[in-house]
Amino acid sequence: MEPDVSIETSSMIRIAILPIGEIPHQTLRDYYSIFHHHHPIPLSSISSFYTEEQKSPFTSLPWDTGSLRFKFILGGSPPSPWEDFQANRKILAVIGVFHCPLSPDLDSVIEEFDGVCKGYASALVTRCFGFFPCDSQLEDEIAASLLMEFEKYVFQAESSGTILKTPLDLQASLSSEEVIQAKKRRLGRAQKTIGDYCLLAGSPVDANAHYSTALELARLTTDYFWYAGALEGSICALLIDQIGQNNPALEDEVRYRFNSVILHYKKSFIQENSQRVSPLSFELEANLKLARYLCRRELSKDIVELLTSAADGAKSLIDATDRLVLYVEIARLFGTLGYHRKAAFFSRQVAQLYLQQDNRLAAISALQVLALTTRAYCVQSRASISDNSHINEVGSRNADSGKMHHRSVVSFFESQWSMLQMVVLREILLSAARAGDPLAAWSAAARLLRSYYPLITPVGQNGLARALANSSERLPSGTRCSDPALPFVRLYSFPQHSSQMDIVKRNPAREDWWAGSAPSGPFIYTPFSNGQPNDSSKKELIWIVGEPVQILVELANPCGFNLKVDSIYLSVHSGNLDPFPISIDLPPHSSKVVTLSGIPTSVGLLKDLCFSDPFRSCGSPRLKNISVPNISVVPPLPLLVSHVVGGDGAIILYEGEIRDIYISLANAGTVPVEQANISLSGKNQDSVLSIPYETLKSVLPLKPGAEVILPVTLKAWKLRLVDLDNASGIMGRQLKDSSSPSLLIHYAGPFTDFEDPPKGSVVPPGRRLVVPLNICILQGLSFVKAHLLSMEIPAHVGENLPKPVYVENSAGKETNVSETKMDGLVKIDLFRGSWGLRFLELELSNPTDVVFEINLSVQLDSTDDKLSLGQDAAEYGYPKTRIDRDNSARVVIPLEHFKLPILDGSFFMKDFKPDEAADSRNSSFSEKSARAELKASVNNLISRIKVRWQSGRGSSGELNIKDAIKAALKTSAMDVLLPDPLTFDFRLVRNNLSHGSNDSRPKGSVLAHNMSPMEVLVRNNSMDMIRMSLSITCRDVAGENCVEGTKATVLWSGVLNGIAIEAPPLQESKHSFSLYFLVPGEYTLVAAAVIEDANDILRARAKTGSPDEPIFCRGPPFHVHVIGTA
Amino acid sequence: MATTACFIIVSRNDIPIYETDAGSATKREDASQMHQFILHAALDIVQDLAWTTSAMYLKAIDRFNDMVVSVYVTAGHTRFMLLHDSRNDDGIKSFFQEVHELYIKILLNPLYLPGSRITSSHFDTKVRALARKYL
Repeated sequence: MEPDVSIETSSMIRIAILPIGEIPHQTLRDYYSIFHHHHPIPLSSISSFYTEEQKSPFTSLPWDTGSLRFKFILGGSPPSPWEDFQANRKILAVIGVFHCPLSPDLDSVIEEFDGVCKGYASALVTRCFGFFPCDSQLEDEIAASLLMEFEKYVFQAESSGTILKTPLDLQASLSSEEVIQAKKRRLGRAQKTIGDYCLLAGSPVDANAHYSTALELARLTTDYFWYAGALEGSICALLIDQIGQNNPALEDEVRYRFNSVILHYKKSFIQENSQRVSPLSFELEANLKLARYLCRRELSKDIVELLTSAADGAKSLIDATDRLVLYVEIARLFGTLGYHRKAAFFSRQVAQLYLQQDNRLAAISALQVLALTTRAYCVQSRASISDNSHINEVGSRNADSGKMHHRSVVSFFESQWSMLQMVVLREILLSAARAGDPLAAWSAAARLLRSYYPLITPVGQNGLARALANSSERLPSGTRCSDPALPFVRLYSFPQHSSQMDIVKRNPAREDWWAGSAPSGPFIYTPFSNGQPNDSSKKELIWIVGEPVQILVELANPCGFNLKVDSIYLSVHSGNLDPFPISIDLPPHSSKVVTLSGIPTSVGLLKDLCFSDPFRSCGSPRLKNISVPNISVVPPLPLLVSHVVGGDGAIILYEGEIRDIYISLANAGTVPVEQANISLSGKNQDSVLSIPYETLKSVLPLKPGAEVILPVTLKAWKLRLVDLDNASGIMGRQLKDSSSPSLLIHYAGPFTDFEDPPKGSVVPPGRRLVVPLNICILQGLSFVKAHLLSMEIPAHVGENLPKPVYVENSAGKETNVSETKMDGLVKIDLFRGSWGLRFLELELSNPTDVVFEINLSVQLDSTDDKLSLGQDAAEYGYPKTRIDRDNSARVVIPLEHFKLPILDGSFFMKDFKPDEAADSRNSSFSEKSARAELKASVNNLISRIKVRWQSGRGSSGELNIKDAIKAALKTSAMDVLLPDPLTFDFRLVRNNLSHGSNDSRPKGSVLAHNMSPMEVLVRNNSMDMIRMSLSITCRDVAGENCVEGTKATVLWSGVLNGIAIEAPPLQESKHSFSLYFLVPGEYTLVAAAVIEDANDILRARAKTGSPDEPIFCRGPPFHVHVIGTA
Repeated sequence: MATTACFIIVSRNDIPIYETDAGSATKREDASQMHQFILHAALDIVQDLAWTTSAMYLKAIDRFNDMVVSVYVTAGHTRFMLLHDSRNDDGIKSFFQEVHELYIKILLNPLYLPGSRITSSHFDTKVRALARKYL
């Protein structure tokens, strides 16, 4: 069988092109390329070379329209045994080609050419060229010579008659009958041959005439084989004759005649010699010729039938090469028809036939044929997909292009054709290995392993791994295959910039250029984000020239062998990325997430980021699972690096501790920092007491490499109850980071380069450095409770009045200060007593493992800023209290200095105006301010008390007890702060006896049996005139009233009861009386008054409910020490 | 009873969703591979042929060597393909029709996604029983 047969084959003149002498390979190819295309040579163009020696047998040669068809057989071919049967099988001409520079001796060339030509006995014309036969006239000359030779042959055949035999005849035993029959047949065969030559000469009409005769004769002699041959020739003649004419009946005629051809070839089948030679190949060729002639989509059913029956014949073909040619042709025809799966099926049959030959060339052919099938079986190599993508589109002209597309979408695992796919890939691998093509072998093994590993046994996987390794050893280093093998590479994530080097967009129009660029709240979705999708920020990634970037990828090895990745790195097609390759070992059935890093080297947008992975394959350029953000590379930015001086560990503070920390900022970038701003974020922002804004501003611009140290004052906050619970288990346990504040430092380099003003609008971004203050709060000294204590030590009645409390505030300061300085103890003036002196007792506990020392101080007058802030002298210092670990202690704070001098109605606004809300409009401004004054004074009082501590670790801080004191004072604030409406004092009056200096009696004592004149002073602390009824009583130690009654031991003069006194506002009224003590001893004088017509303020102060209730004021007891003898 | 028979259901997306060896003879591995190749190639012919007739049963549409491919195309263009080496048209037609009923029952299952692989063991048992009965 011959490849590439068609009906027109019968009319083609075969010309062998033979190289003569030494010709370089490439030159030979060039020579061949001249002859490559066989084209018809019009008869009209050869007429100049044609000389009619005698009357041409081709009587109806169409000189105007006819043509000769050349078919060049490059390199020649051995003679066919069927030459006599079909003249077109003969090599009718030989063209020798030699290369002049390498073959200078023309004689030897001619000698060699003559020798070669001997092998082509059938050649009628021989020519040898030593130059380019570029002139088409040479071909015309050959054509003319051939035409003349055909004429000669026809004359010869007509006159003498040649014996024409085929291999079929040779086998027949020559009985006498058969000899006779052969003689009869000879004529018909001669006519058939003449017809063939007419056809070759381009004269279909002549050919047809001879064929008709031949058919007639062959039918008579039952020479079926030649009958079929003649019929075949006549069909060719018919087609050539009808060329250019649109005859719809022609196709039917051709089909009808061809069916007859096939039938007669079948008939010519002789059983005896079927083992050795058979006309089957002609029958199959006829099938193929018809199929090729009809090959159109509309006739697919007929063609399929023809080709299927041709394929059926394959079994009976004796020669394996014939079978190969048959399958090749069937595959080609199916392919032309658009039946790619059928074509692939027969291509695979071809490949199997090649593989049976078991040599390298056949294996290469098998590999090439299998490569054609990969598309139909969806196992293409990546390289072929990218090369043939346009072909795919063109090839899918058939109606089910959508279907094809869908099929390619479905993954291999789902497609259960996987068995076919694996078989095909295995065959490709096998043929590639035999053909010695390591790249193809690698590619096939990679596809097989990557796509079908779940279906391959561990043994098979190991085999494939070996195949991969063997192939890669034989490949030159650096070869890349477009088909990835293992491991699977999957993009895991693009890590955002760490908070240390965050990039923020810069808004040059604003002073706070960073505003709005970063999420400002804890909310993932912010309604103010200009309606843009929230994840838009994720899709944008900014890389900076010269700063390393990282990408996390996951590598997976699902197979049962150990996989060593020699090198995997990031690469960018534009090449402006310096990668850091890494190598990694993947154990069987494992996956690892690895970080790939690199340094961008130039500014621009990065596209087509991909991973180059091991085994010399290129990983997935399309990353499926994760969206690749738009990566833009920007010029270098400054980079601030921070660390806390003294270690970056947690800053451990006790509650309330105040400490300075130093944060060092260094510019690690290559661009100076020109703008910088510090702000706070996170929780507990108030724990940062001071931020050195100015220090930072003063060092700008911060040159690359420069460093600045910023002091920051911290005050530890109070642990909440939850935190306490958390921390209760382990002391010193680090609390959640979220509770610590962070310093946000926004900084940026210079604005734009001045070089390119058009780009001035593009401002290089700034950066944000987050310095988390990693504060760990330990539970420190804790406040347990506070309560007020009162102490009642009566005053002594003396000659001088004790200094009123309020006087101390202004006048007595200096003296008190000196006293405070001396020992800081609470001093009680005996004559004044401590009536009304309150103590605030604070109970503190120390749950820590160190000793705490408490230093309690009370600022004397915090309203006087100059004194209280500027001088320690303004404070009452108390001795330090030491609290051991796991102990508690009480600290007592005297509150004697806090009485207000005036009882003002405004303090009770709340009380006596229950419908305040309604009247609030009317309440005067002064009232409001007065109320605020009270509140302020309470706060003032509280703020004056400071509990400072110092821990055994050397840290110090302040205990926040404001709330506790407030709570303690809440119930008795009025009692503590507000003065009584009336205060009483007793005083001894010396009757113009000025012997005080030499009086031997103890000062302030009273002699018995003497008239002792006394005064009671009633001070009105309110703003209104108070009228009252004053009474004075005197009691002895037993508490008996010793002024009245039968056993009175004290006599008196003056009025003691029911003294009506009117005390003007804020003034004292005096009432004198005299007492005469009969018995020495201790007596107590008490003054009391019933206020008449008390106003609301007084009532409120006395906390009386009903307006009728008398307001009773009682002064503190005064002691009188009476000396003398009874 | 066919000595060699392979039954396969191909979805409209040209993906096999069910396959079974309906034949009784035990087969070698390369033979079953060959069956798949033949059936796969026959899809090209079915694709054109299905539109030329209104009948669902397309009879024997393709052959290779001794093996014949008979095809039945449902209205949803799901193809039942039987590879066999004996000619028993009536039996094959009945087989296809009954399998079609079974297939419709599978399609009626709300949990079955059309075009996905048929994994029902009940279906498998029934199809094998039908193959024994008719082929």
